[in-house]
Amino acid sequence: MKQIAIYGKGGIGKSSISSNLSVNLASEGYEVLLIGCDPKSDSTINLFGGRRIDTVLDLYKKGITDPNKLIFDGYKGVKGVEVGGPAAGVGCAGRGILVALKTLNKDYYLEKGFDIVIYDVPGDVVCGGFAGPAREGYADEVYIVTSGEYLSIYAANNIVKGLFNLNVKMGGIIGNMRNIVNEEQKIESYAKEIGSQLITAVERNSKIHESEIEGKTVLEKYPNDPLNLKFKEIGNKILENKKSKVPNPTTDEKIRSILGGLY
Amino acid sequence: MMNILTPRPNPIVAALYTLRDLDVDVAVLHGPSGCGFRAARLLEEDGMKVVTTSMSEEDLIFGASDKLIEVLKEIDELFSPKTIGVVGSCVSMIIGENVKKAIIDSGLKDKAFFVEIHGCMGANTRGAIETLKAAMDFGLIDENEFQRQEKMLLLATEVESNSGMAKSKYTRPSRGADLRTVAEYIVNLLKDKKKIAVVLNAKKETAYLFADIPLAINLASKKYGGSIINVCNLSKIVGLSRIKRYAGDIINNYDSNGITIDYISGGLDEYPIAGKNAIEYLKDKDFDLLVAVGIPQALPILNKESIAVTNGPREVHPLEDAGYKYVTVEIASHSTVMGIRDIVLSELGEVIRDVAGIQ
Ligand SMILES: Nc1ncnc2c1ncn2[C@@H]1O[C@H](COP(=O)(O)OP(=O)(O)O)[C@@H](O)[C@H]1O
Ligand code: SF4
Ligand SMILES: [Mg+2]
Repeated sequence: MKQIAIYGKGGIGKSSISSNLSVNLASEGYEVLLIGCDPKSDSTINLFGGRRIDTVLDLYKKGITDPNKLIFDGYKGVKGVEVGGPAAGVGCAGRGILVALKTLNKDYYLEKGFDIVIYDVPGDVVCGGFAGPAREGYADEVYIVTSGEYLSIYAANNIVKGLFNLNVKMGGIIGNMRNIVNEEQKIESYAKEIGSQLITAVERNSKIHESEIEGKTVLEKYPNDPLNLKFKEIGNKILENKKSKVPNPTTDEKIRSILGGLY
Repeated sequence: MMNILTPRPNPIVAALYTLRDLDVDVAVLHGPSGCGFRAARLLEEDGMKVVTTSMSEEDLIFGASDKLIEVLKEIDELFSPKTIGVVGSCVSMIIGENVKKAIIDSGLKDKAFFVEIHGCMGANTRGAIETLKAAMDFGLIDENEFQRQEKMLLLATEVESNSGMAKSKYTRPSRGADLRTVAEYIVNLLKDKKKIAVVLNAKKETAYLFADIPLAINLASKKYGGSIINVCNLSKIVGLSRIKRYAGDIINNYDSNGITIDYISGGLDEYPIAGKNAIEYLKDKDFDLLVAVGIPQALPILNKESIAVTNGPREVHPLEDAGYKYVTVEIASHSTVMGIRDIVLSELGEVIRDVAGIQ
């Protein structure tokens, strides 16, 4: 069993990759649990035909804390959880994640025999709460999603700083392409710079958002599309990955010079 | 800055006490149910209602403005208050609760005002200053009064860090000198017809307790002789009406016991400067012993035999270090002075009476 956390800049494709990866692994017979940790609660939406499942924190508010009732059956039998959180501009989402993880009770769900548990975590590490899924006892390793764009790598490096400070292992980088020059090379050079690896790069492909419009993953809408093989490849590499280690953050100047050198 | 380990007075409690001084009817702590518990209990005995919004884990995550609005409406119905002070706690302020908006939404903006402090964080005087500022903006006090009090509070912070428990990293508490030894020392001096200068330099309502020590010494002197110079910070003309009322109550008691005050060193909220005034007044006088009660750490050190009576077990060591021959502590000073209008028995005062054989 492996627990992983996916971090990366907002909008970079964490949830798309997490959900597509989940259903493709499930279609190969793996037991998958996907835990969305974004207060926006949109990580699992494509496992449920566009439906938003009740979030842990909304249920918690109603006094429902039985872990069985917080986990839902999604497409291909992937189990989905949304942590949920406050409306924008009020309360404390970070605290929400910590409380939700505690309520979910990992001792309980880890006993269920999942092959992989995926935490899809929002944005950069913004406060201690958002680092919760990366703490001891939760994710064994972290994967960062990034494109080759400067701001995306800059955000990735901030996350790497967080991992370094918290002494958390990183499994590698998953590239999600924005179609810029030498993109894969740029991401790969950055990965090497911080002592990590590029797992693979996902092409920019409109099938991802076409499926999303119908509340589906690519597997559900285009079962035979080769893109699914890409997600299976990512999943299997993650399951087999033995090369995770604590990364070393680099400097802003270094990022600029890596990217600048590849134009 | 030195990181001080000793737990210290905090802004939220200072804010509550200041609201009480301002005769606010209800204080609402926007925080968890245990927030400010000890102080809240004491202040209720003094007539001000103190409630919390009982914030829970859930409120911390989702915000608790609705709850605050609800609580404001509830207390308005329950207590029909004229004024309400809403005080921030660590919990509500970390998550950035919009308290001002909640007050407006509750429909009580003419009665309620917000004291923007972040619970237990920071110097206690900041809690008092923020409260006074909010009260000024709300129209409870004028700008002159605000400025006078602000100055006092800043001076008080200075006293604390120069000569109080904020002076060192960790201050051990102490019960101080044996009361009987100290009482016998004082009474024996009087029997030898010596002259004692007694300085009451008390803070607000604690004067009801500390004023008992000058009273006991004066009564002992009436029996055995010797003479007393009485210096008290009991001005009836400075400060909030509530504070002036305390001074008036104590002076009435002294009058009825035939005690004359030789010098009024300031008001009951002016202890940081009243201590200096007292020593200024005494420095050319001739006497054999100085007894300083209340906030002795606010008195400049005189090169004279001196006894200090303080309210905090953690003020004992700093005062001993400052050169006081004996330091005693009135342990119960905060709890015994709530909701009263006359001097109450102090521990040292009682032992002096016992040693002197007066009752
Ligand atoms: N490889 C891709 N090709 C095309 N669109 C993509 C790709 N990856 C993500 N998207 C689109 O980008 C948007 C943001 O992706 P999302 O997974 O929600 O980001 P995140 O979870 O990191 O905030 C979505 O509308 C998604 O469909
Ligand atoms: S402000 Fe915070 S720390 Fe202080 S008493 Fe209230 S809850 Fe406790
Ligand atoms: Mg997302």
